[in-house]
Amino acid sequence: MFLFPTVGFGQFCPENLKTYSYENFLIKMLCLRNVGYSKDGRTILRSINMTFREGMSYSILGPNGAGKSTIARILMGELTPTEGQVLLDGKEVTGLGVTERTRRGISMTWQEPARYEGIRVREYLTLGGKLKIGEDEIRDVLELIGLSYEFYAGRFIDKSLSGGERKRIELASLLLLRPRYAILDEPDSGLDITAGELIEKLLARFRKTGTTVILITHHEEIAEKTDFAYFVCAGRLVKKGFSREVVDYYRKTCGRCLFVEGSP
Amino acid sequence: MTIKVNRVKEYEALLDIYEREGLDTSLFGDRVAAIIISGSKIIGLNNVPGVEIKGEEIENGVRADVRIADGVELPFPIHLCTGYLKSEGYQRVEFSIEVGTNSKVKFTSHCIFPYAKDFTHEAASKITVGENSSVLYDDEHVHGEGVRMISRTEVEVGKGGRYTGRFSLTKHRARELKLEMTAKLADRAVAEMTSKVKAVKDDSVEIKEALLLEGAHSRGDLKSTVIAFDESQVNVVNEAYGLGDYAKGHVECHEIVKGEADVQTVPLLRVRNDKAELTHEASIGRINEAQLVQLMAKGLTEEEAAELIMKGLLGE
Repeated sequence: MFLFPTVGFGQFCPENLKTYSYENFLIKMLCLRNVGYSKDGRTILRSINMTFREGMSYSILGPNGAGKSTIARILMGELTPTEGQVLLDGKEVTGLGVTERTRRGISMTWQEPARYEGIRVREYLTLGGKLKIGEDEIRDVLELIGLSYEFYAGRFIDKSLSGGERKRIELASLLLLRPRYAILDEPDSGLDITAGELIEKLLARFRKTGTTVILITHHEEIAEKTDFAYFVCAGRLVKKGFSREVVDYYRKTCGRCLFVEGSP
Repeated sequence: MTIKVNRVKEYEALLDIYEREGLDTSLFGDRVAAIIISGSKIIGLNNVPGVEIKGEEIENGVRADVRIADGVELPFPIHLCTGYLKSEGYQRVEFSIEVGTNSKVKFTSHCIFPYAKDFTHEAASKITVGENSSVLYDDEHVHGEGVRMISRTEVEVGKGGRYTGRFSLTKHRARELKLEMTAKLADRAVAEMTSKVKAVKDDSVEIKEALLLEGAHSRGDLKSTVIAFDESQVNVVNEAYGLGDYAKGHVECHEIVKGEADVQTVPLLRVRNDKAELTHEASIGRINEAQLVQLMAKGLTEEEAAELIMKGLLGE
C-alpha cells in the first residue's frame, strides 16, 4: 500500500512542490507559509502556516477579532501579508491581486456582501463565469440556497434586499462561479435558523464539484461540518486537525487562547 | 401625426437618430400624443382623446401648452421631442403642462442635439398635477460635443397627487448643464425626482433641486447621482423644506469622482414645522472599495468592476 505523506496541516508546504512530482495531488493545494500581517504598528497575524488540499473542506475557527477574516482576505489577495508567502499549487502568488487569484481558481464570499444599484440578481450571478450560465442553472442554484427564482432573479441587488438575502445571493454566485477554492467568510451571519442546513447543502454541492471549501466561522457547530479545522486566536494558530478534535478543544477552552499577547 | 410638408426631411432625420440611439421610434406613431420640435419649428403634432397639445412658434423656439383632461389614463406616453439638427445656434422651448384630476399619464421627453458644437438650449417648464393624479416624466438627452443647456422646471402637485421626474444625461457629454427643479406639494402629495448625470473632460454641471413640502402628510424624495471624470466640475444643491404637518422628505446626493474632477454637494434641509421630518444622505468619493473587491472576486478587472458599478449607478 502506498502511503501519502501527511500534508493536510501546513507543516509541509515546500516552495516548489514540483520536486515531489511522483505525487501530482500534492501540487493541488493552497498554502500559507509563515504568514504574518501587521497594520499601523499592530500585529494582527503571526507565523500562520495552513494548507488547504483540493477537494477537502476546512474551517478556520476562532473568537471575534482572532484574525480569521484577515487570513481569508490574504488568501483572496485583498490583503498582502507583511511576512511569509501564499502558495498556490506550489507557486508563489503572494503579490497577486484579487482578479488574478480569481482567474487562478480562488474566490470568496465576504462577511458583509456589498449592495449594487442598478445590477440585477440574474446579471450578477452570471458575472465572470467562464461558461455561459443558463436560466435553468440559475434557478437550480437559487433554489438550493433557498430563494425563489421567480421572485429574485429580476430584482436589483440594492437596499431592497436584506443582509440575509444578499448573503444567499453571494453564495449562489460562488456556486455558479465554480472556483477550485471557495472561501466563505462567516457564511451563516445574517442568515435565519436554516443557516446550518444551508451550509450542509453548500458543502455537499462543493464536495460534488471537487471544490475546496475554506469556511471562516466562530460557531463550532458550523465548523464541525467540515473535514478539517484550524483554531486561530489572537492572530496565532492554536490547533489544527480533524474538525471534531479541534472543535472539542475549542469547546474545552471556551474559544480562549492558552497564551497571552506578546508571549514567545 | 400631422407632419409639416416642408419639414418631412427633418422629421425623418430625427427618426433616424432615434433608431441610431436605440430610442423608441414607436413614439412617432398615430396613437401617441406628441409634439415634435426641430429648431424653432413645430414639425409634427398629434393629439389623442383626453390630450390637447397646442404649439406656437416664438422667436428662436417654441411654446407649447399640454392639457390633460380629468380622469384620463393613457396606454402610451405623451411624447415631447425637442430637436436641433444644426451645429450652432440657440433654442428656447417653453412647456406648460396641466394635468386634470384623477388622471394617470406618462411623458417621455427627448432632447436631441446630436451635431451640436456651439449650441445653447434653454427650457422652461411648468407642470401642474391635479388632485389625485399621477404623472411620470422621463427626460432623456442625446447631446453632441458642445451643448450649453439651461433647464428650469416648476412642478405643483395637488392634493393626493404624485409626480415622478427622471432626468438622465449619461450616454453623451453634459458640456455645460444647469438644471433647476422645484416641486411644491399639497396635502398628501408625493414627489420623487431623480437626476443622473455623467460629466467628462471639462464639463460643468450644476444641479439645483428643491422640494417644498407645504401640504400635510406630503412626501418627497430627491436623488442625484453624478459621476465626474477628468477635469469636470460638478455642483449639486438639493434642498428640502418641511412646512406641512407630518411632511416627510429625503434628499440623497451621490457623487463618484475619478481623475481631477472638482465636485461639491450641498444637501440643505429646513424645517418650519416641528411635525415635519427631513433626512439626507450625501457622499462624494471614489468607487466603494468593498463593491470593487467583491466584483473582482468574480474575475473582473478593477476597471471592468468600476465600469459596471458606474453603469449600475447611472441606470444605463
